Amino acid sequence: MHRVMPDNPINDRLELVNSPIDFDGLVRFVRADNDGAIVTFDGFVRNESHGRATEYLEYEAYEAMAVTKIQEIAAYLHDKFAIHRVAIVHRLGRLEMGETSIFIAISAPHRAAAFDACRYAIDTLKKTVPIWKKEYFADGAVWADGELPPAPRSSKSAS
Amino acid sequence: MTSVLPTIRVNVLFFGRIRELAGVREEPQEIPVDATLADLFASYSRRFPKLAEFRGSLVASRNQEFAAWDTQLKPGDEIAFLPPVSGG
Repeated sequence: MHRVMPDNPINDRLELVNSPIDFDGLVRFVRADNDGAIVTFDGFVRNESHGRATEYLEYEAYEAMAVTKIQEIAAYLHDKFAIHRVAIVHRLGRLEMGETSIFIAISAPHRAAAFDACRYAIDTLKKTVPIWKKEYFADGAVWADGELPPAPRSSKSAS
Repeated sequence: MTSVLPTIRVNVLFFGRIRELAGVREEPQEIPVDATLADLFASYSRRFPKLAEFRGSLVASRNQEFAAWDTQLKPGDEIAFLPPVSGG
């Protein structure tokens, strides 16, 4: 059984940015000689939403908390999957059609762990990281329907 | 003045549609010492009645962690009322 040496999490790249995401650079960043696979997720701006033509999007974040939540996701990935490095970069501000809003790259010695970790990362990010998307159409704008993050029911049971 | 109820000061942040509704991004707020997150939200709902409609579709955070509505606040806490998230 191959066991990946857990990398120091400081070697991950977990960022919010306001400019175009350099995804080639992120893929190079996670790649190392003892890896055998990199799985990436490129989330980009679709030209329509619920049948309406989108003109552009604006993302805003609770930045400090969003970074913390992304760090928690990365820590979980290292704990649960035999992966090497993680890059998760989310762009904020105005994005035009076709522009990448989120890019995830995960390296691992073997592909299965990288696939599983990448899927977990994007699914969890969409449910727990405080980032919001406003969709602009020719005739108006709406905040995208989102997911309500799970929160403790009572402070009595919370740590 | 014969009695002044003790208060604490917290910092309150708003995001997304809630920020637009309240017209506020961030502000300090004086609240009673024993106030909970629910109490703080109720005071905002009185100030911005439309906010009350969103109570069931918000989560609260305290110091950047999701928190239960019955959480009692402490001086200097950073509080936010968060609409459903839509990143990615």
